[in-house]
Amino acid sequence: MKFPEQENQKKSEKKISRRNLIKAGGAGAAVLAGAQTASAKQSPSKSKRLAMVIDLQRCTGCGGCILSCKSENNVQSGIAWSNKKSRTVGKYPNVRFEYIPTLCNQCENAPCVKGCPTKAMHKGYGNITMHAPKKCIGCRTCLAMCPYGVISMHTRKPHAYWKSEDALIKGCTASPKELVEKVKGNVIPNYNDAREKSTPGSGLRYKGIVEKCTLCDHRVTKGLLPHCVMSCPADARVMGDLNDPNSAASKLLSKYRPWRLKEHLGTEPKVFYVREFNPGATKKTKGSV
Amino acid sequence: MKDNKKTITRKGFIKTASAVAAVAAVSTVFKPSLRAFAKGSKPNSPAESGVWKSTTCQGCTSWCSVQVYVVDGRAIKVRGNPNSKVNLGNCCSRCHLSLQQVYDPDRTKVPMKRTNPKKGRNEDPKFVPITWDEALNTIADKIMDLRKNNETHKYMLMRGRYSYMRDILYDRMTKIIGSPNNISHSAICAEAEKFGPYFTEGEWSYRQYDVLNARYILLWGADPLSANRQVSYYLSAWGDALDRANVAVVDPRFSASAAKAGEWMPIKPGQDGALAVAMAHIILTKGLWYKDFVGDFTDGVNKFVVGQTVSEEDFTEKHTNGLVKWWNLELKDKTAQWAAERTGLPVEQIINVATDYGTAAPHAICWVGGGPAMQVRGGYTAMAAHALNGLVGSVDNVGGTLKGNKEYTQSFPAPDDFIDDTAKAGKKHKKIDHRGTKGFPVLSKGKPGGGVVTNNAAEGILNEDPNEIKVAIAYMNNFAFSCPQSERWERALSKIPFLVHLTTNASEFTHFCDIVLPSVHHMFEKWGYVKSMGNTYRHVTLLEPVIDPVWDVRIDETEIPWLIAEKLQERGFSNLLDHYKEYKDPETGKAPTNAAEFALYSLKHATHKLWDPAVYQGGDKFSGWAEFAKVGVWNSDPYPFKKRWGNMKTKTKKFEFYSETLKAALTAHADKHETTVDDILETCKYQARGEKAFIPHYEEPYMWGDEKEYPFVHVDYKSRLNREGRSANCPWYQEFKDLDPGDVAYDDVAKLNPIDADKLGIKDGDSIRLVSKTGKLECHAKLWEGVRPGTVAKCYGQGHWAYGRVASKEYGKTPLGGNNNDIIPADYDRLSGATAFYGVTRVKVVKV
Repeated sequence: MKFPEQENQKKSEKKISRRNLIKAGGAGAAVLAGAQTASAKQSPSKSKRLAMVIDLQRCTGCGGCILSCKSENNVQSGIAWSNKKSRTVGKYPNVRFEYIPTLCNQCENAPCVKGCPTKAMHKGYGNITMHAPKKCIGCRTCLAMCPYGVISMHTRKPHAYWKSEDALIKGCTASPKELVEKVKGNVIPNYNDAREKSTPGSGLRYKGIVEKCTLCDHRVTKGLLPHCVMSCPADARVMGDLNDPNSAASKLLSKYRPWRLKEHLGTEPKVFYVREFNPGATKKTKGSV
Repeated sequence: MKDNKKTITRKGFIKTASAVAAVAAVSTVFKPSLRAFAKGSKPNSPAESGVWKSTTCQGCTSWCSVQVYVVDGRAIKVRGNPNSKVNLGNCCSRCHLSLQQVYDPDRTKVPMKRTNPKKGRNEDPKFVPITWDEALNTIADKIMDLRKNNETHKYMLMRGRYSYMRDILYDRMTKIIGSPNNISHSAICAEAEKFGPYFTEGEWSYRQYDVLNARYILLWGADPLSANRQVSYYLSAWGDALDRANVAVVDPRFSASAAKAGEWMPIKPGQDGALAVAMAHIILTKGLWYKDFVGDFTDGVNKFVVGQTVSEEDFTEKHTNGLVKWWNLELKDKTAQWAAERTGLPVEQIINVATDYGTAAPHAICWVGGGPAMQVRGGYTAMAAHALNGLVGSVDNVGGTLKGNKEYTQSFPAPDDFIDDTAKAGKKHKKIDHRGTKGFPVLSKGKPGGGVVTNNAAEGILNEDPNEIKVAIAYMNNFAFSCPQSERWERALSKIPFLVHLTTNASEFTHFCDIVLPSVHHMFEKWGYVKSMGNTYRHVTLLEPVIDPVWDVRIDETEIPWLIAEKLQERGFSNLLDHYKEYKDPETGKAPTNAAEFALYSLKHATHKLWDPAVYQGGDKFSGWAEFAKVGVWNSDPYPFKKRWGNMKTKTKKFEFYSETLKAALTAHADKHETTVDDILETCKYQARGEKAFIPHYEEPYMWGDEKEYPFVHVDYKSRLNREGRSANCPWYQEFKDLDPGDVAYDDVAKLNPIDADKLGIKDGDSIRLVSKTGKLECHAKLWEGVRPGTVAKCYGQGHWAYGRVASKEYGKTPLGGNNNDIIPADYDRLSGATAFYGVTRVKVVKV
């Protein structure tokens, strides 16, 4: 499906990247200012820059985004398009748990797009960083270029687990393959055909190509929110168009100072984080020397 | 709406914008994301091709109303049911795992028969497939043998997780066959947690919490962002609750909820009671109790002074009973200093938390979870901690702790007319779990012997006390995995000559069975209903068959008992089937003629008043069954705050700090055994004597193992991906096990504080063995700052040696990781019958 916006998109994209190259290296506040200036200069009706703002105070680290993405996008074991970084910080009993949901950052200056020799990685509707499996030659340049490690390569046929013909108890339980056939799945039992219908080859992927989050482009282009956004029980994920100052995402970015991953690289991610995972109160103190 | 989308253009919009109907259309269609369609191209393939069908997730006891996205009879994905006012369209991460449960290739697809007559952990059952007919005939023959020989009391029914269709199989079938032995899992859930609210405010149940209106939330051994109860609701509300409320977490382990709290109180295991009474002491001495609920000194001067008794006449209570008695008997000396010595918490932290909690009255929640309660003397701790809600007047109050709203489901027809003389004689025998004996008061709802002692049934079976068990049926349970000291169950189940399991997977329990009946997955293939509460509402949500059943499975709670009843009728005993035929379809008045009709009619009967406008009682209103089934959930009326103030279901009708209700219950039990309450308490391992027995008070923890030999205390907890011990065979469970703070993906780790690990020379990832007085397990070590030195925290859920190929290292033989129940001794909070999981097990850590 092609949208008139897509043409405009490409033009505005160039503008943005030039601007941002000059501006690269800006700190959080500068980034926010940048995003706002950009949106002011462009007419909201002409293009869309879809972004996700993740409200860490609302996020509970439950992993609903990660698992729902698995089912929506037929992601095989060992790969997670929607993922997280977490760690425990501090010394007992003064401890903090950090948790950041992660996904493809939908960079405005996407290194994967720049590096792709076949334009398999490209910018699509809403400035989403798209992947066209049919054009992918599996060279892995994108994998090397991406500073966020969100691109995965299929060096083998995906979903090997479901191709096994061994049953646990002979005659009493099924082999994975038998189960898939019984329920009329496609390689996996709960196969979702929505991706494949939207972009051929993207449904299950195959050996020799890469894959990554495309912000549920198969849903977004139909006016549906990404499945991880729909599935977040805390409404911690807020989607919106940065070119529209009244979008929920833009409003959040105006209200709170956002930060992004590896800001200094100038990739201009469109996944923003606001507020604190743990905003717990503290007692007043002047400390000591 | 679809039609609007097709025809609306910008021009069209301007033309019709004045019409009210169009305004509604604008707000939906003109969303930025849909502008593409308004502009043209080819707008109109429906956005999603499948159908969202309503059902219920029983992955934990939140019992969220959910929906499954179904295409051509196949489940693709899941979400919360937007029609529920309890979970508000949300589901948590564990709900998604259900897809890998229903489509687990290791599910049993046909009935199975054991061909190896020898039973034991190391005996391969050598299961072979059989027909439903052969399986049911065998079961019916065994039941008829009991009836012919007047041995019906040797029949036993074991229940694990259930829907409220449970009584068909659990109650009615057991009674009509003629046995007293229907044994539920309730006491390995959290009965001791209910002990607190029952003996203070007369409610034997779990609570819901009005977190959005709270100013202080004290989570006590509860981890609602991870497990139990209404997880999805609290996940949705937490970010907003944090804007208004301080949150403190009492837990030796840095839990998922502690990660989102202001204050972590890493208490020494088993010392919760000390903190609770000290908090009460501080609240009273600082004059922070809520006077509108508790009352005040007649002269308005606070006489709660450390170490000094108070005259009862000086204080006028409002909606509470026995505050001064409580102070004089227990609280007056329980200072922060005293508590700090026991709990290992800083004095200042205890004072700060108590003060902030008291200052937030009456919108201050003390949320008592299983942690402090499910201990050997935990009943009193549950009381002490819950009593704090009474002190600050948050009981039944806005921003406080609430009970369930009124709902209007109804019970199944009574079985009395179908219980014949054989059954009556059988039913008179004593129960296999020893409830109500001197050492097991089990005061459920204040009635001696009123509850169950699930884990003690293993002793009953092993010792044939009061009698042997010859025929047993069990469903949706796995006592050989889920009960502490589970090795006892392995021996007990091996001893039962004929054991039947209704299950989805060949679990540890199944390993000892003679016949295995493949059951439906509750969320995708079953008719049933459950009720739960949250967000100040209660919902009744339907379990519905939303996909084509994967295999030739039957519904455990309805279809299978019907099929057994048919077989019993063929053998000349028609009472059970005759009884079941009384469950008529409220719409047509027709009696069921087969298992499928029975499953549906019984559900329609139970929920009749919810969906039939002719017998409407309250809450959501439906046009009939069809609409209710489609929507999938009924919501109650809003919560009537403070309605129970002065009208609680206690002996005094008040919130009891001195529990006349507990006094009556304990005295009744003592009278039954012709002894004193003190003697009962001594027999049951409690320290209280005299009047202290009737008030919330501190008891020292009772642990198994000598501190020198077993220097660590084991801290058990539940994973946010646990579907009650049934999800370890889901690949996603293993892949994302690190969603639990401190845990590791594809692994099972015991967490040690680095200080302790250094002393033992243990490094991250080392293979270690945890050894307790009653058992051992092997897993890997994880050095973690989120665990109190002197304790070892390990999550429950791994350690399966059966269930499937993902869950076990080698099916039927070797566990993957370790099962906590292999080290926890079988012991009890005997006043409630609850099994002790926490603050009971000392362990040593050995490098292997």
